[in-house]
Amino acid sequence: MIEKSDEVVEKVKEIVADIAECETAEIGLDAHFFKDLEIDSIKAIELTVAMERAFGVSVRDDQIKNITTVRQASDLTKQLLDKKSKS
Amino acid sequence: MGSEKRIVITGIGPLSSIGIGREELWKSVSQRKVNIGEGGYPLDDGDWERYLFHKIDKFDLSNFGIDDESIEAIRQWKDGEEIIDLNYLLAAIKLALDDSGINYRSENNQISLVLSHENLSLTPFALKMSHVAYDLLNGKPDGIPKRKLFDGIFHSCVRTGYDVQAFANLFHIARVFNVHDYSLFINNACASGLYALEAASDIIKSGKNPTAVVAASDYPDIYKFLWFKDLGLYSEDGVVRPFCRDSNGLVFGDGGIALVLEEFKHAQRRGAFIYAEYLGGGFSLEGWKITVPKIGSDSYQKAINEALTRSSVEPSEIDLVSPHGVGSQPIDYYESKAITDIFGKRFERPFVTTFKPYVGHNLGGSSLLEAAILILSLANDTIPATLNCENPDPKFNISLVRESVKTKLKTVLKTCCAFAGFNAAAIFRKVNV
Repeated sequence: MIEKSDEVVEKVKEIVADIAECETAEIGLDAHFFKDLEIDSIKAIELTVAMERAFGVSVRDDQIKNITTVRQASDLTKQLLDKKSKS
Repeated sequence: MGSEKRIVITGIGPLSSIGIGREELWKSVSQRKVNIGEGGYPLDDGDWERYLFHKIDKFDLSNFGIDDESIEAIRQWKDGEEIIDLNYLLAAIKLALDDSGINYRSENNQISLVLSHENLSLTPFALKMSHVAYDLLNGKPDGIPKRKLFDGIFHSCVRTGYDVQAFANLFHIARVFNVHDYSLFINNACASGLYALEAASDIIKSGKNPTAVVAASDYPDIYKFLWFKDLGLYSEDGVVRPFCRDSNGLVFGDGGIALVLEEFKHAQRRGAFIYAEYLGGGFSLEGWKITVPKIGSDSYQKAINEALTRSSVEPSEIDLVSPHGVGSQPIDYYESKAITDIFGKRFERPFVTTFKPYVGHNLGGSSLLEAAILILSLANDTIPATLNCENPDPKFNISLVRESVKTKLKTVLKTCCAFAGFNAAAIFRKVNV
């Protein structure tokens, strides 16, 4: 189970790199998925599926379109993991 | 298939923005007609929102030859309020029964009824609650006690709220058409119509009745529009472009549809015209999100493969596929992936075409309304073009028909991937070919 904040960020980067077909080193925390990484609405769903699988969390439908950077994806994942640990 | 009863379609009753009744609708499809109108909801300071949709311009329930007495009973229950999609259901069923030549007025008519709808009577209820709450609070800057507000809303809205329950609508419609046998109400989001079709087929196969009417309807309203707009799924320019590079969402469509399903020998005995045989359906429930398809799953493929297996049809036998075709990139991709996984990436058969550019998205009625247009395409050996697709997206790898084609058709497939992951597929075949 991934608990540390930087581990979450690194794992999210790996997932994004896999979807965007690039190296993790090329992905900045605030690189925009659509504008900078060519992650379209189809790949955004694949990204969500991969994130849910990797972290064991469930992203709400309306949150998917709001995930547009590694920072946002990591923050959301941390929130969901935190919520999960308290429930 | 052994001695299992065969199910055929002997009546088609469509209502749409481009035609009321089978003949008018097919003529309009052949002429590539589209009819877009504007909707909204008036408030004191102007319209809440305006939106474009495929609109039925003229509709009058009194034109359909339904007994006045039975309609009056509904009006009395509803204090005179006209419920549009309920009226569409009534009209569609009457059209389909007339088309089939079945006399529903006779005693012991042996008709079963299956209705499907996503949200029948919900918007009138929600709007009435909003109005009542506004009236109760208007001019009272300090508000009113909570109990008074709750009591006021309850007593003013209880009758309208009662009608949100599916059984009340099933009751009204069954009463109009003298249905006293098996009846059912189904809600599987946009796939409702195909689930209802399968249920109606099962009813006949089980021997309950030799005839079943399956009907669905919907109409655009402010609540549905706001919901889809918030989801980013509504096309602002009122043009739906399925499987195109420049698709930007769906557009609602007014409409209703009823099909008369009949046991084959029963239809033969009475000399009924048979449009097609319903070979069977396949269904799956993805179970991931309500409003987003799970790209990468094989749930849709499972439903289509099940329909093929149950129908004893090979993929190579399918001449034409009509998918959901909503004009949203992720959903178009999800559909094209399922189609190419099963039929292969090739620009030959099966042809693919979509009907939402003609009639809009009729939500809970969409899959059955489009199945009806597909059956008419089959009966007329014609593939209507998918309109509005100037820039087809090659990544979808499907044989999208952009100019109408006259060609021999034998076996066709309707598919639908609905909200909540309800995936459905239905196969129809021409009889005696």
